[in-house]
Amino acid sequence: MSLCIRSKFLRSNLIGSLFRYSTTQVEAAEQVDPVVADDEDTLAKEAAIEAKRNISRLSREHQNLVNGRRPYEEPKHIAHLTVKYNRKMYGKYGLASGVNPSICFPSKADIEERLEYESVAHPFTIKQMMEMAAKRRQEQEQKIQQRDKEIAAKFAKLEQWKKDLLDKIAKKAAEANAAKEKKERLVEEVRRHFGFKLDPRDERFQEMLAKREKEQKKLEKQARKEAKEKMMIAKLQQKNVELGDMKK
Amino acid sequence: MGSRQITEKSLSMLRSLPRISLGNIRDNPNCRKPAKRGRAQHGGDKHGAGNKGSGQRQNFMRLGYETGNNPFYLRVPQEHYYRGHHLRREYPPLTLHELQRMIDKDRVDVNQPIDIASIVKSGIYNFFPDQKQFGVNLTDEGADLFTAKINIEVQWASELVIAAIEKNGGVITTAYYDPHSLFLLKNPKKFFESGQAIPRRMIPPPDAIEYYTSAKTRGYLADPEEISKERLKLSQKYGYNLPDIQKESNYQMLCERKDPRQIFYGLEPGWVVNLKDECILKPKDQELLKFYNT
Repeated sequence: MSLCIRSKFLRSNLIGSLFRYSTTQVEAAEQVDPVVADDEDTLAKEAAIEAKRNISRLSREHQNLVNGRRPYEEPKHIAHLTVKYNRKMYGKYGLASGVNPSICFPSKADIEERLEYESVAHPFTIKQMMEMAAKRRQEQEQKIQQRDKEIAAKFAKLEQWKKDLLDKIAKKAAEANAAKEKKERLVEEVRRHFGFKLDPRDERFQEMLAKREKEQKKLEKQARKEAKEKMMIAKLQQKNVELGDMKK
Repeated sequence: MGSRQITEKSLSMLRSLPRISLGNIRDNPNCRKPAKRGRAQHGGDKHGAGNKGSGQRQNFMRLGYETGNNPFYLRVPQEHYYRGHHLRREYPPLTLHELQRMIDKDRVDVNQPIDIASIVKSGIYNFFPDQKQFGVNLTDEGADLFTAKINIEVQWASELVIAAIEKNGGVITTAYYDPHSLFLLKNPKKFFESGQAIPRRMIPPPDAIEYYTSAKTRGYLADPEEISKERLKLSQKYGYNLPDIQKESNYQMLCERKDPRQIFYGLEPGWVVNLKDECILKPKDQELLKFYNT
């Protein structure tokens, strides 16, 4: 059996070396052959055969990777000494990786650092945050309610304000109208006095108008005076009546 | 030393040396000539920089500059509803209709509690925690067609969605996961292969606490009694008879919830999962236990 395999191996090796146009491999095989001892070295022999049978030309690391073993037995790089790498080796290749699994758990320093980070990143507890949120919500609602109240109070007065404004506008318009009518009346009177149509810009017209206005003012003044007197009399009369009542 | 030996040795050396190939021979001397940049009439034209303008002068303008035009990035007035958009949490949507399809196609197991890990594993839904995406927003499209009875945990759900699930005798929880936990839930295998202990889930940020502590939204931090009251209230609001889940055959499954610190169903923080050896390592150190239980 083993012979058969060996012949096979030799053939393949020959082909392989032909491919590579090299005879170095054959030479190596010749060197290995005499090493084979008789007794318990059959295992070693098998291993050697196995090594020869491997014609993949992959590097050892890649062979390991392909066969599901960790690529490097001993560290080859500074990164291979880190905790992270060793954890990864355990995570990927299990106990066969030869890493002590206790490395997977955080160290005391790690825990302290983590706790410090968390105390900064999450300064409040859930309860505190809930209280803060409730307070904020309440404040918002209160603000809205207050604004609603203000608007309602203003809305209640709105009709009155509207009425006041309209009254004011109407009063102003009435006053303006009255003044205009008065002026028109005066002009008409002046025209009637002259008996013909006269340009209002005429000097005579202006003179007459001023005179008329003066008269009008005088009349008004008199009227006011009379009204005042009347009021005084009425007041006096009322007083007399009151006195009479008192006497009675 | 005889000449024969020398010959033998040199021959063996030659044999061991690598053979000449295209890969290890040098060019003939002076066979390569570097291209010359011609001047004036001898090819001194554009030198591959194009004709006229910025290109020829190779004055590379700053990003967004439009040579005196009103730049596009300033042309649009400010949109204040986008303020802080780069800080806001995003919940990529998943519709109830899609969820029903996933269930019908047997891409999620209804006999187990559904969480974001199983939703992502279905292959229908994906999300990116590094892009401020914080998990599933279950939306109400297809709420009328939804018939599955499930125990689901999502990150955001509307009232109608909650009603649609509870109407069928299901249970819904809204739960917050910090981005790191979401990375683990998205690709648990990658995490387990890194050989680290499962971390604790972090608490929600202050602006999300209201949602995740409210019974109305079925927050995972809400009081269970309040939640059962709200379930009844919601059924009355939407007008359906709330099925009694205590009489269900899978009551145990429907009651299953994660601890607020827990990331995976059935795995506690602090455990190390090894997929190769198919084993779980649990810490025994008091300090570790204390750390992982707070």
